[in-house]
Amino acid sequence: MKIIVAIKQVPERDAQVRIEAAGKWIEEAGLQWALNESDAYALEEALQLKEKHGGEVVVVSAGPERVGSTIRESLAKGADRAIHIDSADLGNRDALGVARLLAAAVKPENPDLVLTGLQSDDLGLGQTGVILAELLGLPHASLILHVEKTESGLTVKRELEEGWFQTVELPTPAVLTIQSGGNKLRYATLMGIKKAKTKEVRVVAASELAPDSAPVVVLERVAIPTKQKSTQMLGGSAKEAAAALVEKLKFEARVL
Amino acid sequence: MLLVALVVASGAGFWSRFGVVLGKILKSKKDASFHLFPIGKRIWDFVWEVVLQAKVIRQRPLPGLAHAAVFWGFCAFVLVTLNHFAVGLGLGFLDPEGSFGRFYFYLAAAFALACATGILGLFVRRFLIRPKWLGEKLSYQSGIIAFLIFLLMATYLASFFVADANPATRVLWWVHTLALLTFLPIIPHTKHLHLVLSPATVFLSRGGFSQIPALVGDEDFGLIAGTDLTQLVSLQAYSCVECGRCTEHCPAANTGKLLNPKEIILGLRGYLNDLGPAASEPLLGMYNAEEAPFQCTTCGACEFQCPVGIEHLPILVGLRRGAVNTGAWENDYGAKLFLALEHGSNSLGLPASDRDKFIEKAGLPLFDGTQEYCLWLGCMGGYDPKGREIVADLARVMNYLGASYGVLRKEKCTGDPVRRLGNDLLFQQLAEENLKTLAENKVKRIVTICPHCVRTIQEDWKDYGTPPPVEHHSEFLARFADKLPKQRDGETIVFHDPCYLGRYRNVYDEPRSVVALAGELVEAPRNHERSFCCGAGGGLAFLGEETGERVSHVRAAELVATGAKTVGTACPFCNSMFRDALAESGDGAPQLMDIAQLTARGLPENDPS
Amino acid sequence: MSGIWVVLEERDGRVSRISWEAVAAGQKLAALTGLAVNAAVVGAQTERLAAEVATKAVSKVVRVEHSLLAGYTADGFTLALQQLFESENPAQVVFPHTYQVRDYAPALAARLGQTLIGDVTAMDEGPVFTRQLMQGKLNGTYRHTGGGTCFVSVQAGAFRADAVEAGTAEITIFSPTIEAAQIRTRPSERFRGSAQTVDLGSAQMIVSVGRGIKDADKLPIVQELATALGAELGASRPICDNGWLPMERQIGSSGQTVSPKLYLAVGISGAIQHLVGMKGSQCVVAINKDPGAPIFEAADYGIVGDLFEVVPALTEAVKTAKQ
Repeated sequence: MKIIVAIKQVPERDAQVRIEAAGKWIEEAGLQWALNESDAYALEEALQLKEKHGGEVVVVSAGPERVGSTIRESLAKGADRAIHIDSADLGNRDALGVARLLAAAVKPENPDLVLTGLQSDDLGLGQTGVILAELLGLPHASLILHVEKTESGLTVKRELEEGWFQTVELPTPAVLTIQSGGNKLRYATLMGIKKAKTKEVRVVAASELAPDSAPVVVLERVAIPTKQKSTQMLGGSAKEAAAALVEKLKFEARVL
Repeated sequence: MLLVALVVASGAGFWSRFGVVLGKILKSKKDASFHLFPIGKRIWDFVWEVVLQAKVIRQRPLPGLAHAAVFWGFCAFVLVTLNHFAVGLGLGFLDPEGSFGRFYFYLAAAFALACATGILGLFVRRFLIRPKWLGEKLSYQSGIIAFLIFLLMATYLASFFVADANPATRVLWWVHTLALLTFLPIIPHTKHLHLVLSPATVFLSRGGFSQIPALVGDEDFGLIAGTDLTQLVSLQAYSCVECGRCTEHCPAANTGKLLNPKEIILGLRGYLNDLGPAASEPLLGMYNAEEAPFQCTTCGACEFQCPVGIEHLPILVGLRRGAVNTGAWENDYGAKLFLALEHGSNSLGLPASDRDKFIEKAGLPLFDGTQEYCLWLGCMGGYDPKGREIVADLARVMNYLGASYGVLRKEKCTGDPVRRLGNDLLFQQLAEENLKTLAENKVKRIVTICPHCVRTIQEDWKDYGTPPPVEHHSEFLARFADKLPKQRDGETIVFHDPCYLGRYRNVYDEPRSVVALAGELVEAPRNHERSFCCGAGGGLAFLGEETGERVSHVRAAELVATGAKTVGTACPFCNSMFRDALAESGDGAPQLMDIAQLTARGLPENDPS
Repeated sequence: MSGIWVVLEERDGRVSRISWEAVAAGQKLAALTGLAVNAAVVGAQTERLAAEVATKAVSKVVRVEHSLLAGYTADGFTLALQQLFESENPAQVVFPHTYQVRDYAPALAARLGQTLIGDVTAMDEGPVFTRQLMQGKLNGTYRHTGGGTCFVSVQAGAFRADAVEAGTAEITIFSPTIEAAQIRTRPSERFRGSAQTVDLGSAQMIVSVGRGIKDADKLPIVQELATALGAELGASRPICDNGWLPMERQIGSSGQTVSPKLYLAVGISGAIQHLVGMKGSQCVVAINKDPGAPIFEAADYGIVGDLFEVVPALTEAVKTAKQ
């Protein structure tokens, strides 16, 4: 199977978030970067499929030079080769614009399967994979935890709300967006890093793949939410505290 | 003539096996990080451990003395033995009538008596008393060797009571000779090979305790197959006398785990015997269980005790490296630890902002390059609620003493657990990043509450740069003991020596002087270099459930049995391991306090710090 | 351009609560833009659903019906709504941000040359839309700058379902053209995770009990709370060591690592071994009688009190809220 995994390099989860002067994005200087969490699960799923059915795993990632370290990490974990879409101003594209870049890189590869993470840890749109499927004209399924190859294509396990699941059958080639937690991730090894040194990373300029078009949706500015992160202690009698808690859980935390 | 032929035959018998062993050792990979110089320490260790038999005696006094008697007997007998064969060829050079000759023969007789007594005692111990550390099976080799040695001494002593003219002299001479010539070829076929090898093994040690060698080149991932065994490892494997001292103090072996340090070494020897140093079969699996090395807490009791100079820790870590650096080790908890450190700052997988919140809440000053000390929090000090209490108390004491210190804005785990687990990729990343942080912040001196941080920063980071001097807070507090208030009517406090402070760093007195300020020091039965591990080291604190008994519970029971009111610790991991274990002892359980907390409670009540 | 369209979803035969929230969002958007609100329901048999929606203050309710829309598929819903919107040309489309919407709305938007502004938590003059970034550490303000339809989806709980005004609306039917061959995926019936093994790792809500419970026979108090919430039961190590709950329920460094939406720590002190197992929880509530217990540092909401009083009170409050 030829599997393409679209990965994104995002600021580390621990990252201290500071807003840059113009107020349009966060200060990137001094940030540590990492592989997006659900992309790590997508990569793991791809590697397991390769181990079972043979074939090739190619990672694709768009971004500036620093993305190279995350690409190398993916190669170290077992991907066979990589395509780096060199773009210094990815932030100026909306989700559709980014997906167009990926589609242009992926199409000539003619993969059997394209995997993306469910959503990114920074923007959290969760759309790129679905749009990519649309642009490539391929069937897709999202929130996937498990992939199995069958005679006629794929059977995948999809997560639904509130603890429900369903299986979906679809033909290949297809696009799947992978949810975190479906597999146990493998750790990076010294041997993997050494092997990665000889693997191919093809760099292609974004402008070559898809021309810059004006985005239809623009992120105008960012702000730190005023909601405090400290513990809210709820007082009063047991009944009062319980009622206050339920109210908070329903409307503030929105988990009930 | 017959004598010459027999000597040659005996020699040939010796070489037929010894030559093979020597060959296997020499054919092994060269040790890249071995340096013969500086030679001073090597000579000292050789004199202390081999000539004076210090380790042999100290760790098991009675059997040790018996063995020393046998060994010194052998040394004293060199001239006697040479003369013995010379006499057979008509070339005797020690004149029994001459003053030197007579002195020497009587001296040797004294040694022979001691040696015969010693070997008799050892025989009784091995075959009648049968301590379990010598293993289940009776060793017939040992029986034969014991018999031969006794025979040699007996024939020698008997010769004093027989006149030269007596034909019995000649019989005694031949019995003695045959005993010697039988003994010689047996040496390389049994564990008595140590007679020849162990002096070399002690002399050629790696040069430090738990000295983990750097990996060499792009193909070296640790000890995976025969081709990875180096000359030092092979030499050490062949030197093992199977005394079982390593196993006797091993926390894993003592709590029903698969790991047995003696069997690890003998497993390597078995591999070398059967397959040799050029083989590509895996070291683990056939001769030792794959899980065994991963049950090691790296407490070092094995390496510390070994009388023949075997260095178990680099071997155990080497075996782990082979499994981890290649990804062959599949362990959920291990993977979780590695993944947490791949992208996070600490071994617990908690967000760095938690540490920032703690620093702010505790009012700890930030290090700005001007203070004398950088107070390194470590993972436990920065994120564990109890570790934080210890740090806060240490800060109070440092304030009281007027010490100038600050904490770093950013810290990453020193990498101790991943280093001991054999993940060199991750360790390098952590060491390099941290060294960069230290340099950027102009840190000149570090003090920390965790002996694992101390060891890793001071020694293990040397592979990747030059760390500043580091000390443990017990060393810091001991230096100012005279300025710290002495608490009156303090309770009994049993101090538990942390492995990474005691055996690893030789620091025993400093924490005790701090404990003495707070109360009455009580020693655990196994104390100082014999301290029994709490079970957290070697990355095991992160690896989830253990099989068999819990190491921490065994040690906690020992500490509780002393009857002391307080258990004093000097390591946040020991503290964490004992917390649950002591709680199981019920309401009468001793309280658990770090030496920083013991010191802080003695500070004046109205002290503003 | 024909105003604001809200796409509603059904749940157990009725309009889902989050769909009503989307309608409320649509009505807010109407207030901001002066446009009319229309509703669409999609499926094979939408008569009852449409009738329900028609009791609210929307201009019209369109029943997008086709036999191939009986169960949800991305292809079916995308094709159907594409045709509806190509004919209606909305200024705004509002979806509830559900797993289903996440599966097709981005494709639908892309097909129409647009990009969805998803998981919106607020909307203001402009209109501009607020959504969370960096896992909630940032809020971002988005604006639709291109021509054509603006697609948004709204986060559960961001708008209040009970704020939807009542009214009457006309109902019309829209029949899209869909061929069977165009539906490329075949979803199965939904099912629960295996009932046998305890999989706390995928639980959405967990009630966890610690030493504060004192006795095994007091556990039912906590069990009732868990049942009322529809949550799984977890425990700190000592509870499992004592055999009061099976080892699979242990949460912590030597047990399971969990990341539910809601984690309720009852009578748990918060030792590091436990914290590392639940630090990934989205919302942590702690109930403990010791105000100094470290668990409160890790909690979003805390109640200092006797769990034997607080927990039953909470169980009642939850049951009331769910009615």
